[in-house]
Formats: sequence, C-alpha cells, structure tokens
Amino acid sequence: MMPSSEALLALILLSVLLSLTSHRLLTLIHIMAFQGIMVSLVPLFHEKHHTLAIGSILLLQVMILIKGFLIPGFMLAAVKKIKMRREVVPLISYHASLFIGLIFIVVSAFIADRIQGTLPGKQTVLIIITAITTLASGLFLLMSRHKAFTQVIGYLIMENGIYLFGTALAKQTHTQYIVEFGVLLDLLVGIMVMGIILTNINDTFDDVDTAYLGELKD
Amino acid sequence: MLEFICLIPLFTGIIAMFLPVSIGRVILVVTALLHLQLTVMAWIGKVKPGLPYYFSTSPDGLLVLLVTSFIFLVISIYAVSYLSETEMTSEPIYIGCTLFFLASMSMVALADHLIVLWIAIEATTLMSAPLIFLHRSKSALEATWKYVMICSVGIALALLGCFFVVLSMEIGHVTEAITYSALSKVATQLNPTWLKAGFIFLVIGYGTKMGLAPMHTWLPDAHSEAPSPTSALLSGALLNCAFLGVYRSHQLLFKAGLGDFSSNILIGFGLLSMLVAAVFIFNQSGYKRMLAYSSIENMGIIAFGVGIGGLATYGAMLHLIHHSLIKSSLFLSSGNILLGYGSKLIANTGNMARLFPKTCTAFFAGFAGISGFPPFGIFVSELLIILGAFQKGRTISISIFILALVLIFAGASRLVMKMCFGKYKQGVLVDENMARVLPSYALLLASLILCVWLPDSLYQTILSAIATIGGSTNG
Repeated sequence: MMPSSEALLALILLSVLLSLTSHRLLTLIHIMAFQGIMVSLVPLFHEKHHTLAIGSILLLQVMILIKGFLIPGFMLAAVKKIKMRREVVPLISYHASLFIGLIFIVVSAFIADRIQGTLPGKQTVLIIITAITTLASGLFLLMSRHKAFTQVIGYLIMENGIYLFGTALAKQTHTQYIVEFGVLLDLLVGIMVMGIILTNINDTFDDVDTAYLGELKD
Repeated sequence: MLEFICLIPLFTGIIAMFLPVSIGRVILVVTALLHLQLTVMAWIGKVKPGLPYYFSTSPDGLLVLLVTSFIFLVISIYAVSYLSETEMTSEPIYIGCTLFFLASMSMVALADHLIVLWIAIEATTLMSAPLIFLHRSKSALEATWKYVMICSVGIALALLGCFFVVLSMEIGHVTEAITYSALSKVATQLNPTWLKAGFIFLVIGYGTKMGLAPMHTWLPDAHSEAPSPTSALLSGALLNCAFLGVYRSHQLLFKAGLGDFSSNILIGFGLLSMLVAAVFIFNQSGYKRMLAYSSIENMGIIAFGVGIGGLATYGAMLHLIHHSLIKSSLFLSSGNILLGYGSKLIANTGNMARLFPKTCTAFFAGFAGISGFPPFGIFVSELLIILGAFQKGRTISISIFILALVLIFAGASRLVMKMCFGKYKQGVLVDENMARVLPSYALLLASLILCVWLPDSLYQTILSAIATIGGSTNG
C-alpha cells in the first residue's frame, strides 16, 4: 500500500477523535463531510484496486457526492431549521470521550494484529485499526450523547467504519459492489427516516434532546 | 412468478395510498386473500422464481410465509372494523404502509441471496416505522425513534456480518453465488474463523430485530405504542422473519461443521431473553407491554429450541407457528380492550368477564394458550423442546428454561386475573362487536386445530426445514 493511503487513514483517525471532542454541531457536520470524502477515497489507494473499472470509479464519485455533500448538506439545512447549535453536557465528558477514543485505537491495534494472519494477501494493519476504531467510536457517540442529532452523526460514523471494513476485506471481483451498494442503501434510507422523525421530535418537543424521550420505560 | 408474492402487495399499497379509505379497506382484504392464494400455490410448487439467483422457496421460508400470509388475512379483516372505530388522521398511509410491510416480509421469506435477505429485513424496519408513528403522540414518537435507531444499528452490524461471510468465501477460494442454498453445499470450504465472526454479527443484527435480549429494548415500546393490528403483525409475523435470518445463518454454520458453536450462542441468547422477560413481566403496568415481553420470551424459546437441536428443533418450529397464531389473537383482543377502556394501563381495566364477555373469553383463552395449557399448540411445542433438551442431556439449561416459564406464568397470570375479574367502576367507551372478536377466535381455533391435526404437507415441510440442521422427530 502506498504511503498516501496511510496518510488518508491517519486523517480519518484524527477526524474520529475530533468528532468525539467537538460540542458544536456545525463543527461535527463539517468533520462528518470531511470524513465521508476521505473514507470514499480509501479504495482508490488500496492496492487491490489498482485496476479500477469504470463502474467502481463511478461508484466512487457517487459515494463522495452522497457522503461528502448530500448528507452533510441535508444535516446543515436541518440544523438551521431547528435552531440548535451545541450539544448539552453529554453523559460522558469530552475529555473522557477523547480518552476512550484513544483506548479504542489501542484495542483495535491489538485486534488487528491478531486477525491479520487469517486474512488473504498482503494487508496493512492500519486500515483494519482505522475501521474498528471508527466503528467503535460511532457506536460510542450514539450511546453517550443526548441530542438525537448527534446520535444520527454517531450512526453515520459507524457506517463509515463498516464501509472501511468492507473495502479492507472484500475483493471487488467477488462482491460485485456489494459493499458500496449495501452501505449506500443503509445510509440513504436510514438518514431519510431518521430525518423525518427528527423534525417531528423537534416539532413536538421544540427540541431534539432525547432526554425528553423518557416516558416509556420499565 | 414467485416474485409476485412480494410485488402484488407493493402495487396495491401504492394504489391504496391514493384512493379513498373505503376502497382502501377493500383493497387491504382483497390483497390479503390474493397473497394467501399465491402463497398456497407456491407451497404446492406451482410458481417458480423468475430470478432464481436471488429468490427461491426453501422449506423454512415457506413455513414463515404461510404463517405470515394467514395471519395477515385475519388481521386485515380485524383492521377494517378497528379502523372504522378509531379516528385515524392518515388512514390511506396506514393501509399503504401495512401492505408495503407485507411485501417486505414476503421478500424476507423468499430471499435466498445474503444481501437480498438483508435488504428485505432493512425494508421491514422502514415500512413498519410509519405504522408505529401514526398516532403522532409523544410516546409514539419516542417508540418510533428507539425502533428506528436500535434496529438500524442492528441491521448495520448484520451487514458487517454479511461482509465477514463473503470474506470467509474468499479465503476458502469459493466462487459460488452468495446465496444460502449455494453456500450450504460448499460450506466446509469456507474459512471457519471468519464464518464464526460473521455468525456473531448476523445473530446480533437479526437478533435485534427478533427481540433477543439484551438487544430487545425497542420491542416493548414499539409493540405497545403501535395500533393493535400493527402490534399483532409485528409480533406474529415480523419477529418470525427476523428469526428466519438467524435460522438461515445457523443452517450455514451447521453445514460447515460449526453447529456446536452457533447452537451454544442461540441457547445463551434464548435463555437470557426468557429470564429478562420473566423479570420485566412481573410488575408490568401496561397489558400491551406485558404481551410484548411475552413475545421476547417466546422468541427466546424458539432460539433455545433451535439451539438444542434434534427433537427440540421440531418443537421450536411448532412453537413458531403457534406463537404467531396465539400472540396475534391476544394483540387483537388487546385492541378491543384499548377501545373499550381507553387506556393501556392494567390499573384502568377490570371486570372484563362482565363488561366484554366475548373479548374476555378470547383473551383468557389466548393467555392459557400462550402459557402452555392444552388444548392449544404451545403445550405440545414446549413439551417437545423440554423432551428434546433432556435427550441431549442439557440438564442445567432445561432447569433455567422451566424456571423462566414458571416465573412468567406466575407474573402474567396475576395481571390477567386482575384484568378479567378485577373491580372496575367506570363505564366503557366502545362495546365489543363480532367483527372484532371473530378474528381472535379464528386464530385461536387455528392453533387448536393444528394441535390435534397437523396436515401432512405441513408436517413434511417442517421436517425438511429442520433436517438441514440435523433435527428430526426421532431425537
């Protein structure tokens, strides 16, 4: 794998850590857009894809368009509409979140080291580390934040991690764009439904804090 | 064309969205009838798939399809009467989405391709979310948010599981199609480590949808907030479809010689679900939530039975059929209770035996059935699972299993007694009527008939469905 791809992965890791500490929603969305573009570019530098087919280049562009511009644009519009700027005090503080993010990196380095031997062909460990860290951080963000909006962003980051995993592991010849297709479908549809409910939460409660959603419990 | 089973509800759903409600209700019932007819034709092998790469008829899929189709027909008849009694602001959307929901569930039952199955299960979430959300109350909103959020995360993890299965193909140099039927023929060549990892993610993903603990938290909320016909569909049909995803993966692992690994995971999840249900059902305040926890328990029983294998697998398949029939019947009765008392809380109900004698009969009989009393089918299925587990020498798990069953019966019976025979002073809002009671009776009757007389074709289909994981009636 080329060094440029490792730089790309390092940038993704950085953006993940940044997303764990940022409390302004606009910053979070910008980070999301940046991360989306970086993640879509990874297959380009991946050694397996040296011979890129027309189809995969097209898909790559669609990925960048959706992850880098369409979804962030949609979210920006939503933020403007619901007049919300920042996350309230989260369940787990920002410093602690950052620390947990670092722990994720260490743990995923350990896991990646263990599973590398079973993988076919030459693999760099870094892409697996990045994938696991992104996945775990997304899940963590989803669980530790109050605002429904941040939870959606957590879901998006998690989806990025899954996409990275898919590109790292699967050969294009065999999967026939299953990875790209699956992730795109998941994203588009998920965001659509979540967006609709999000605006409804906002209309009903004048806020998108899920702390209001606490009536149903045992 | 087999695909018509999915396409017909899809088209009629679109049509129903643009037509007045009175025609929409007719379309709902007519589609249900057509669907059942097509299902029966698929059952006797008259329809062939147009895209055999993506769709096929497997015995387990057919079983789930038939149950879904039958229940849908009964529920659609109930829904017509229920809808005329409640004021629903967007009824065309409700009817349309219910039909889309049927289409996506049929797709799950017929899918053979790994990714098509995944897409179909994702589609069931999306099609049913508007159904839960329809009342637009704060609690309905909360339930929908939890449902969409938790299930989306689960489904995303299942996608990762699919990637892992594909990876295990690559490492094993398997070039077959990514379908369950093709893979199970070459299962031994798949890389076992990644296949196991894939199975764990698939079980967590589809298990979220199926309501296995600890991923069950959306289920009581969604089932209690949805309109009653939808609750009945969610519990009686959707959970089976999610189970099918788990079952197919288990089949694959069994063929690959990793049956012990996947069985133990299923047994663990199954017992945990039953225990969680037992704890939460004990002091439950809402009757629909009580039924929802009972669904978690029964999904746990099915997972447990499949995990045990042998005779218990046969029991689990019977349990799947009878749970669907009886639980939908109970949810339909709960719709009448909700209309009658105007509250979902057990504390605001009572004296059903006097006020709603017909509903009370259906509800009480349904409760007896779900608790495992004869003459209903769950008696047989639970007995077979227990016998199967004893044959395999699983003494510790079976004692936990029986303990959970007893706890759940003790917890729920207190609540049901209060509802049926407790004191109630105020008047009732809506009286029961035959159109809303007969569907409950029909479902219970179906369970009763299937308990004493199992048609031979059904019996053979169950046998061939469980033969793939080494199950048989001989233990």
